[in-house]
Amino acid sequence: MQRGLSPEDEQFRSEMREFFTTAIPQDIRDKVAAGTELSKEDFERSHRIMHEAGLAVPHWPAEWGGKNWSDLQRYIYLDEMQLANVPAPLAFNANMIGPVIATFGSQTMKERFLPPTASLDIWWCQGFSEPESGSDLASLRTTAVLDGDEYVVNGQKTWTTLGQHADWIFALVRTNPAAERQQQGISMLLIPMDAPGVTLRPIQLIDGGHEVNEVFFDNVRVPADQLVGEENRGWDYAKFLLGNERVGVAPTGWIKRKLAAAKEYAAAVASGDGHLIDDPVIAARIAELECDLIALELTVLRVAANSHGGKPDPASSILKLRGSELQQDVLEFIADIAGPSSLSWDLEAESAIADWAHNATPVYLNFRKASIYGGSNEVQRQVISTGILGLKG
Amino acid sequence: MNFEFTEDQIALRDAAREAISRHRTEPVPGTAPHDGELWKALAELGGLGLPFPEEAGGMGAGPVEAMVVALELGRAGVRTAYSETLTAAAMLGDDELFGAAVEGSRVVVPALFEPMRAWSPTPVDVRADGDALTGVREPVPYAAAAPAVVTTAATADGVGIFAIDNPTFTGARLDLAGVSARRVDGDEVLVQRAINLGTLLLSAEALGAMESALHLTVEYLKSRKQFGVPLMKFQTLTQRAADMYTSLELARSAVYYLAMTLAIRPDDAIGVSRTKVIVGKSGRHIGQEAIQLHGGIGMTAEYAVGHHTARLTEIEHTYGDTRYHLSRLARGVSEYGGLDLVS
Repeated sequence: MQRGLSPEDEQFRSEMREFFTTAIPQDIRDKVAAGTELSKEDFERSHRIMHEAGLAVPHWPAEWGGKNWSDLQRYIYLDEMQLANVPAPLAFNANMIGPVIATFGSQTMKERFLPPTASLDIWWCQGFSEPESGSDLASLRTTAVLDGDEYVVNGQKTWTTLGQHADWIFALVRTNPAAERQQQGISMLLIPMDAPGVTLRPIQLIDGGHEVNEVFFDNVRVPADQLVGEENRGWDYAKFLLGNERVGVAPTGWIKRKLAAAKEYAAAVASGDGHLIDDPVIAARIAELECDLIALELTVLRVAANSHGGKPDPASSILKLRGSELQQDVLEFIADIAGPSSLSWDLEAESAIADWAHNATPVYLNFRKASIYGGSNEVQRQVISTGILGLKG
Repeated sequence: MNFEFTEDQIALRDAAREAISRHRTEPVPGTAPHDGELWKALAELGGLGLPFPEEAGGMGAGPVEAMVVALELGRAGVRTAYSETLTAAAMLGDDELFGAAVEGSRVVVPALFEPMRAWSPTPVDVRADGDALTGVREPVPYAAAAPAVVTTAATADGVGIFAIDNPTFTGARLDLAGVSARRVDGDEVLVQRAINLGTLLLSAEALGAMESALHLTVEYLKSRKQFGVPLMKFQTLTQRAADMYTSLELARSAVYYLAMTLAIRPDDAIGVSRTKVIVGKSGRHIGQEAIQLHGGIGMTAEYAVGHHTARLTEIEHTYGDTRYHLSRLARGVSEYGGLDLVS
């Protein structure tokens, strides 16, 4: 047992801090700090600066831009990025389809897709969920039928995040309806969003934003060489995609930064003769959230140190569960601090109310998603109870 | 940053586990009796002197090793004066009682509670004029075993530490008026440092108790049948077991980290308070759910699970509960911005 960082890791940390706080434009970081929605161009600027510095996909295999970092270094990188209000490299590229192609794709597919995926010259979106297939993802009904050297895709995907910006979608499709188990009849296809027969429809969410979409496939013809890996192995790839990372599952740097911001906010909101921070109930909520965060962050550090070659590990379910809960707790707290100043959501130049307070309620509402996406928290509990505790339901 | 036990620490854990299992007796409700045989075994293991330097008569290990032993005690559900003796020894400095405490030839406990007063590490109604003490300490742990005592008192020059070789108890009550006490070198800094160590050991014991409470619960859900099926067929139960596991692992991270912290910063009061809060919340959650998920059997004295909950409750109320530590932390939250755990 050893507390603290080695001199090398300390040095690494200051390099990361220096980079994220100086190389990424302040206007983007200010928007992230205030919870204001980022434009496509904001994401691209930030991602490309990281890419040029070799920091967009450090966890990929070295030949495709990876850095061979230790898990602790990866944690430090993410922590410093989040603390500096830097938007992460696009997750669909860097954390989802990139690692899948790098692990399961053919050499041709790697050469074709990995460089533009790393540089964000392709913007990917995810085609997993369907209207009738949420937590029961394996029941998905979008079909792909081989016709010559093309698949013909028909069906519908939903909750496609930022699909309005996307160039390509990686989609789970049913290629063998007769498979003994549903999971064995699923494949993963790469489909351009401008292919004839693909249409996208926005879904407005409770925060008023347009973040997710429905995607429809009507006789979309997809060349067979855009099949990832082998036919009918898509379920394995999807499981890999959802479970291959432990270090980044719980956004502890993000939570830490929000909690530090909450203190500033509570010190800025007048209450009685003083400020909200002087209220012992507010101070106790901060103290308790800090304890919750510490327990989570230490668990990230402890679990990350034991990771086994990127294989899915049920322990990451704890991190997803607590990470999402704590994200939500902190945003709920910030919305409470904003109080009546949160009642108008509109950012106005003349307003005496700070942007964070205008944004507090929509951001709070938006992040109710965190305990639903990526496997709902109930699914995570199921993974823990069966995978770790051996309680076979 | 490394949370792994070393080979030596694993060997110590296995030795402690073996010694404890040889001497384990069934738990009883209420005040814990002192078990002389188990005590001797822990002393032979060197367990009582682990965190103290060799030149002082200790084993020259550290808080991590002491934590390893406390974790095993908690897991086995045996109650001993382990955390008490190490806390007392940490207050004794070079007093002659130190050697007896860490060799196990004399049970020595701290007397730090004042009757009907919320926890305070600083003595309030216990005072000293020279070596003459006044005031009452109650409850004194393991008083029935007639231990020697280390206590604190308010003196003209701040908090004083006093050793009492042969106190007379009335039940768990120790009236200090007229007892023969000896002032020990050290002030409130040393007292707090000893309490920090004691809190770590209690937290480790709580972690062991949580581990066992969850283990028993999981086994019960697998084996107990109702409506013709094992209880684990009911998601309303398994989802709650998953939450218990999450609470357990969060507490484990905090306890291990505190041991590493105290090894380099024995006066880190904030770290102690944070751990006590984390362990307090996890302990209450797991203790309560373990009984509930067992149903009626969890209420019985002959079944182990409820005793773990009793011990978790006792630990929650020792050296400051969640409320006390949250309140201490809350007073300081404006003094810093974000958290930094790795430096």
